[in-house]
Amino acid sequence: MDKKSNFLIRRIHSLLAIIPIGIFLLFHLSLNSTVFFGGRPLYEAVIHFMKNMPLVWVLELVIIFVPILVHAIYGIWIVYVAKNNAFNYKYGNNWAFYLQRITALITAVFLVFHVYLQRFSVHEAEGVIDGLTGLLQNPLFFILYAIGLLSAIFHFCNGFFTFLISWGITIGDHSQKICRYISMTLFVVIGVWGVSILTVIAGF
Amino acid sequence: MANDNKVINIKVKRQDKPDSAPYWEEFNIPYKPNMNVVSVLMEVRKNPVNVQGKAVNPVVWECNCLEEVCGACTMLINGVPRQACAALIDKIYEQTGFGKQIVLAPLTKFPIVRDLTIDRARMFENLKRVKAWVPVDGSWAIARGPRFADRDQRWAYIISRCMTCGCCQEACPNVSGKSKFIGPSHIAQVRLFNTHPIGEMNKEERLDALMLEGGIQECGNAQNCRKVCPKEIPLTNHIAFMNKETFKYAVRKWRTK
Repeated sequence: MDKKSNFLIRRIHSLLAIIPIGIFLLFHLSLNSTVFFGGRPLYEAVIHFMKNMPLVWVLELVIIFVPILVHAIYGIWIVYVAKNNAFNYKYGNNWAFYLQRITALITAVFLVFHVYLQRFSVHEAEGVIDGLTGLLQNPLFFILYAIGLLSAIFHFCNGFFTFLISWGITIGDHSQKICRYISMTLFVVIGVWGVSILTVIAGF
Repeated sequence: MANDNKVINIKVKRQDKPDSAPYWEEFNIPYKPNMNVVSVLMEVRKNPVNVQGKAVNPVVWECNCLEEVCGACTMLINGVPRQACAALIDKIYEQTGFGKQIVLAPLTKFPIVRDLTIDRARMFENLKRVKAWVPVDGSWAIARGPRFADRDQRWAYIISRCMTCGCCQEACPNVSGKSKFIGPSHIAQVRLFNTHPIGEMNKEERLDALMLEGGIQECGNAQNCRKVCPKEIPLTNHIAFMNKETFKYAVRKWRTK
């Protein structure tokens, strides 16, 4: 492979999105789903446990921070390079391509805000939940936060569809079509799941 | 005759020199049945007078085979990249309504030579880069090669219909001045020549070329290429297959290095 080639970085960029970032996203939502079962006390206890795990910062750095940073920085370059034409070529997959790039940028902004608000500005579980509940009770903030969350979920689900093509897993029309349906179903299911979590937290 | 007062109205994006500013010009051509965009442009050439009644330079365009196999007359017709020879006026009117203005513009992803004529040299340079041929020339006879299996011929023949017309490159959002992407057609060509029983003997060279800067990794799966291909080549399937091949090749190369 030529030293100047971006083949390797493009494949790393694609892989990082699923392992570990996509898996982390699902883990993150699963953990937050404790809001459905034990109410605020259980949720607070779980968040407290996670935030106080020994060496949790190593996991945060290796599984979350570095992969997302690499994916985001190279991803912004990919967004820049594309000459979007979804209004001229109004095909479903071309719109998905365009939305993938729009949600990339929204997700990037959302994550900076999300990490600052719930990791760095306050760190102990009680303060984090109090702060988020308070903000989510403002309808405008709720909508903006939900848009950020749904962008991240769309970006993951649609990215899963393109990941399967970029790694040569789905090759023919049939398998690509089935995985397109699966990815969009996942978006709806995970989207409803995520917004439900926000709704419960807003009610604390 | 009933057609006497009917006109075909075309609006052409023109450019006098490669570096001069583009401008739009309209022409009215007497309607005749069974015309195509090439014959309309020939009428303009016969009588190059625009709708303002001003005599202008005739519109410059390229065409050659007139049967949708050479790709020379590819241009944007009502915003869609396609061959002017295969764009039948009556068919266009069936979709847009009779007499509706037809807009002609040069492809946007290539340097403009003049009016609708573009410089497609980049595509040919990239075909050379991926070695899209079967190397059989030598200084002695090498006898008959292996036969192309019938099972592969069936789908590989479809790829061989590619005329490097540039439609897929035009529609691809990742082919732009900002990237060096070789484009969808060329990835399919690598699959064609890597499947060919003699071409297969040099497949590593083509895979290497496909992984260089601007190679297959630049594909973003917008999948427009497949929709606009006039030869109905399922480019997206070939790209996905070559994604698998290049990855396997990269791993093998690393493991055996």
